[in-house]
Amino acid sequence: MSATDHSIIEIQQLYRTYRRGKDEPRKALDGISLTIGSGEIHGLLGPNGAGKTTLCKILSTVLLPTSGAAKVAGHDVVADAAAVRRLIGIVFGGERGLYTRLTARQNLMYWSALYRQPTSAARPRVEALLERVGLKERADERVELFSRGMKQRLHLARGLIGDPQVVILDEPTVGMDPVAAREFRTLTGELREEGRTVLLTTHDMAEAEAVCDRVSLIDGGKLTATEDPRTIGRWLSAYERVTAQGVPASEIARLEALPGVVSVRIQVPDSILVETSAEGAAAAVLRLLLDAGVTSMSTGRPSLEEVYLHVIGNRGLVIR
Amino acid sequence: MIRLFFAAARFQVLQMRRSPGDLLVLVTLPLLSVAFLSILVESGDRDLAPYAVVGTAVMSIWSIAVFISGGIIDTERRGGTLEAIVPTPAALSVIVVGRIMTVTVISLLGLPESILVAWAAFGIRIQVVHPAVFLLTLACTTIAVVGTATVMAGLFVLSRSAQTYQNSLTYPFYVLSGAVVPITYLPGWLQPVSKAVFLSWTSELLRASLLTAQPSRVPFQLAVILLLGVGAFGTGLLMINRVLNRLRRQGTVGQV
Repeated sequence: MSATDHSIIEIQQLYRTYRRGKDEPRKALDGISLTIGSGEIHGLLGPNGAGKTTLCKILSTVLLPTSGAAKVAGHDVVADAAAVRRLIGIVFGGERGLYTRLTARQNLMYWSALYRQPTSAARPRVEALLERVGLKERADERVELFSRGMKQRLHLARGLIGDPQVVILDEPTVGMDPVAAREFRTLTGELREEGRTVLLTTHDMAEAEAVCDRVSLIDGGKLTATEDPRTIGRWLSAYERVTAQGVPASEIARLEALPGVVSVRIQVPDSILVETSAEGAAAAVLRLLLDAGVTSMSTGRPSLEEVYLHVIGNRGLVIR
Repeated sequence: MIRLFFAAARFQVLQMRRSPGDLLVLVTLPLLSVAFLSILVESGDRDLAPYAVVGTAVMSIWSIAVFISGGIIDTERRGGTLEAIVPTPAALSVIVVGRIMTVTVISLLGLPESILVAWAAFGIRIQVVHPAVFLLTLACTTIAVVGTATVMAGLFVLSRSAQTYQNSLTYPFYVLSGAVVPITYLPGWLQPVSKAVFLSWTSELLRASLLTAQPSRVPFQLAVILLLGVGAFGTGLLMINRVLNRLRRQGTVGQV
């Protein structure tokens, strides 16, 4: 736990099982326990279907857990949902969840009323939020005319309209262009400065590394590890991949022999993919290829699934 | 709570302004009025024009209640907005009632519209002979429509094919409310059933308020409308809370 010593989100042995007709019940959360400190930006990193959204929905009182407990500022999300709702703001990813026939301003004014704000207080707050998310110029356009990224910005504004102490952001940068995604990172930093606690779900490791104080890895409904974001950064560089074209066959064996090289795979004729598992290994691969006269090559960051395979596969389930 | 109620009402007005299709019933109502009135005029029963006027108005009020008010929660769910409303401090029931009240008040426009059609198309002047009865009936009917639509709003969420139920709920109620045929013309076994439908009392009182004869048993009939409406309202509020908890338990608040 970081930011402050006292926790604001406490999750104890949380389970959620979905039952659909005669199908086998599916465990979306499998005994998750997690504590998040007040003022902390906590990342929840995991692939699609890992259980991130299910956890967000339970914390935001949209979904009831099958068993276990979750508290926000000491209020149980099941027994004291009304108190929790006064403290949280949630942003779900995707294009749904807005009144598309209304304008951005009309949407926010209505949402502010749902947070029991008098019109006199809501007006300046709506203006400030429109400015903050960069929608002021388009505030009087119908939302159905917005791009996906603009809708996502409006979702962010909606999540903040109630001046929440805890902000739950479920895949908030989905659909955003790179510039908007960078602005979002700045916004997250501002939320931290304002003393808000943020729970951010993402499958983008670079995003988690950039904005979070701590990052929890989740997969198959289980929390597999809670890490410092610098560790994520190390993983990103350690598990870099190198793609190259026109590599002489004689060099393949030399590449495989390099320290930190996990595999060399021939993808299509004349193209190879080199996977590494140690910091600096990718640089050694590039040097070797350059010395061999190869000029067509590129490096790439590993996918989340690849990192999971390396990290979880290497050391089992560790919670720090 | 009152602020939320009015915010929901204002929101509904904005939504309906952007969705003219929601008020299509009020656009097609004159055709229905003309059809009903022309039958009476051709048969030489012009003095029965209040039956046609009240009948078409009651049909439009009920149709809008079933299709627009009854579908309010389901529409929120399909649009993904219900998932965003639940985590707010706002009570869903207050939002729903505020919105349904707005829709219902707008649907009452069918009555003056129908009266205008009678005058414009056939030169029949319909006068509100007993304005107090007329206004009190409209007020009690509004409460009853809101109550009944609240039940439907909760019920339709439970169904995978709400539209089928909505379609099925129109014509039987047109008949049971006495909008299409006077209740006394219905088979004897059906007449008691119509007494449980508040719209049958509404039709009777509205017609009485347009006729010169002194209406009888007005307080009793108004009380029946109110009683049926308030009963439905209580059931509706209970249902909304139950349905919402069920969706939260099943994990289908945001699912279609």
